[in-house]
Amino acid sequence: MVMDPIFFYRNPASAVAEGTLQGLRVAIQPNLAVEGWPTEAGSRALLGYTAPEDATIVRRLRAHGAHLSGSTYMSELGFGLVNSRAGAALQSREADVELVLDFMGEGRLAAAGAGVYGFKPSYGLMSRYGLVGLTPSMECCGVLSADLGGIRAVLQAVAGGDGLDFSVPEEEAPDFAPQVIDPPMISVGVLAEARGGLNDGQNEAFALASAGLAEVGFAVREVSLPEWSLFEVVHRIVGSVEASSATGRYDSVRYGPRAPGAKNWNEMYLLSRGADFDTLLKSYLIQGAFFQFESCEAFQDACRLRARLVGEVQRLLSEVDFLALPTVLDGVASVAGASILLDATYTAFSSTLFANVTGQPVLYMPPGPATEMGAAAGAAGGACGLQLAGPRLSDGSLLALGEYLQSTGRGGE
Amino acid sequence: MEFEAVVGLEIHVELNCATKLFCDCPNRPGDEPNANTCPTCLWFPGAVPRLSRQALEKAALVCLALDAELQPRSAFDQKVYYYPDQPKGYQLSQAHLPLARGGNIKITGEDGESQRLRIHHVHMEEDVAKLVHEVEGRVPISLVDFNRAGAPLVEIVTQPDFRTPYQAMEFLKALRSQVRYVGASECNMEDGTMRCDANISIRPCGTMQMNTKVEVKNMNSVRHVGDAIAYEMGRQIAAVQTGEAVVLQTRLWDPDKKATLPMRAKFEAPCIPDPSIPAIELSSEWVERMRAGLPEMPAARAERLVQQYELTREEALLLSAEPETVDYFETLVAQGVAPRMGLHWMTTQLLPAVRERQQNLVTSPVTPMRLAALLRLLADDAINAKAAREVLTTLFTSHETPEAIVQAQGFSQISDRTAFDDIIDRVIDEQISAVANYRGGQERALGFLVGQVMQASRGKANPKVVRQRLLEKLDEAR
Ligand SMILES: [Zn+2]
Repeated sequence: MVMDPIFFYRNPASAVAEGTLQGLRVAIQPNLAVEGWPTEAGSRALLGYTAPEDATIVRRLRAHGAHLSGSTYMSELGFGLVNSRAGAALQSREADVELVLDFMGEGRLAAAGAGVYGFKPSYGLMSRYGLVGLTPSMECCGVLSADLGGIRAVLQAVAGGDGLDFSVPEEEAPDFAPQVIDPPMISVGVLAEARGGLNDGQNEAFALASAGLAEVGFAVREVSLPEWSLFEVVHRIVGSVEASSATGRYDSVRYGPRAPGAKNWNEMYLLSRGADFDTLLKSYLIQGAFFQFESCEAFQDACRLRARLVGEVQRLLSEVDFLALPTVLDGVASVAGASILLDATYTAFSSTLFANVTGQPVLYMPPGPATEMGAAAGAAGGACGLQLAGPRLSDGSLLALGEYLQSTGRGGE
Repeated sequence: MEFEAVVGLEIHVELNCATKLFCDCPNRPGDEPNANTCPTCLWFPGAVPRLSRQALEKAALVCLALDAELQPRSAFDQKVYYYPDQPKGYQLSQAHLPLARGGNIKITGEDGESQRLRIHHVHMEEDVAKLVHEVEGRVPISLVDFNRAGAPLVEIVTQPDFRTPYQAMEFLKALRSQVRYVGASECNMEDGTMRCDANISIRPCGTMQMNTKVEVKNMNSVRHVGDAIAYEMGRQIAAVQTGEAVVLQTRLWDPDKKATLPMRAKFEAPCIPDPSIPAIELSSEWVERMRAGLPEMPAARAERLVQQYELTREEALLLSAEPETVDYFETLVAQGVAPRMGLHWMTTQLLPAVRERQQNLVTSPVTPMRLAALLRLLADDAINAKAAREVLTTLFTSHETPEAIVQAQGFSQISDRTAFDDIIDRVIDEQISAVANYRGGQERALGFLVGQVMQASRGKANPKVVRQRLLEKLDEAR
């Protein structure tokens, strides 16, 4: 059998439904439950697992008439981008919108790789019911498209309260109606510390992009978050502990391959889980188990630190309306089949993981024709687009900002 | 050296909610194995726990019933351990931010004085699945029944305030009574809706030492809890006196051997906050609304029974221990039965009869309305006590009204003053020595004569009327 180059599972059915998303082709990942579809989330631990019912996101997409093209290859449980084909369905025009799990920036970096928009919604905006997750407090479904209108339509259809997931705040109904943008009334803070890891070419490109915002008329100024480097520490500790705990259920009792030769069930757990997970994820889970069982104080410190970072970002966003940050696409993150280490993974996502710690929404803008960002970054050996971040639940305004920039040629096609 | 025990209790109470704690499956663990399951309580990939509103309300009622202070903010944690009785690798419990803190239960001590035993906190948690071990051919297999997985529990953790087995047993009885009053659980240790573990250590009397404690589990009745604490105290005192160290461990109570035996230690990991369940925020208005909905609690109700019906304290405490019992009593009284008569008939006739038939006051066919109708017949002298007891027996098997049964079985008592004059005259003639004894001042002889008349009337005469008429005749004949 020839392997499908993009889809792990291709939907054999054709589009028929009606609704606001009629005709929109949406590719998902096999971590979103679709009744009857293989839902293996890129892991051997879920080999052969078929979802018994639809995820809330899937149900809403279908109810609004979207056509699910299929589910794309993904990294193991969405951690990093190894073995992932996220973005490929958009590039090959097999889908109009892709949903890509964003745990440390995977959705945004996949968008950067494919040269499309990548939106990471606010934490709690979308139901997690039926999402085979790894880190409930950090991950969410990123929405990727070459068309911001497609992202807006999908968010409008799937966001909001869910009787099946109480973690979606019922009272905060999001507003995705188009908004008027009046640049002089809007301030954008360029986060100084986020430039720390850029090479010369990337730095230059990002400076140009920031200057572009000012040229269009936004009130642009530099802002500072001295504790920027702590985002990675907090993400590593809290993320790994949650991941270690969340993967406890993959015990090979009811699905997934059961390792032979175990003398009792404890051995069966150990052998099966040892054989199921790949090295990269396994090292992450072991790290999480260390913080949970051997160094719980460090975990508690990380939780406190997280609250402080959330507060710091809130403080910044009370001074400016939006933050602008660079996006660094380090090639190593998306190499298929590459065996990369934990440290390298975190380095690859160091420009994006802040938003998974804070839960705020971020729009990744690919370099537009009016900026020389793309060319400059290309010359320096690494694409670099712009991330625009807003306060929690400012998702609608963020999309409006992106649409405005697109209209001025400062982002996207 | 004299020793005393330092005991703290951890009590699990299974809430009688319609659904499980985090999904809509029926909370009926006894059904056909795995009948009450769904992707959430089986923890299939993508499952999201949803805290049941009713479980939160019932848990809050338990806290209020025990005078514990509901916290404005509480949250669930993951208690990580790997065992086939919970398929997600952790149990959801409230380790860091419990639903309520403080609280206490008042008991009457062995010295008759009132004692206040303190509660440390009350938290919610989910129950785990049940393992069934069988043999298939010659291969031992373990089956898992998920009906109980996710059943709503509250755990009541006390302060180490207990010094004697008696205190622990009284505490459990009072706890059971108070929780049953608010309708949150049946609280039966025998069927597992209440489970109790005890942390036991000893210290020389009069000191404030906190020594190595031993956890004792597997006590299936209030009696077992008392026995196990007494045994464990003795075991630890003996160990210390022979110079042995008390080892930190968990022991199981063996009711047949009447001893605690060590069990294999369970690995317990630190708890981490669960990222999927939103924190529980309780407004003071909500708490006050719940508090306003509390029924009159056992102590207050006993006090009122004493005032309102002139019962003794002991009678009132006995009646008010179970909400069904005292509700039954008050319904009887509201139906026009005299309080003393109601109490007498409930304690000497009804409750033993109900127990004998393995029923309870709620399921018994002898409703308070039917018993009241019967007792009104008795009070109006339409039947006598002996007939009333027989009608009561019939009420357990017949749907007829007491009036109809009295009619059908000819229990009607004849209260006409002169209806039994012939029999009375004959008894006075025949029972010469009894009559002589009565006239000689022996009051008891009158009772004998009344009995003779009653017997001759085949129970149809009204003993009060017979007694009155006998007195008149005996005076006449003098
Ligand atoms: Zn269920």
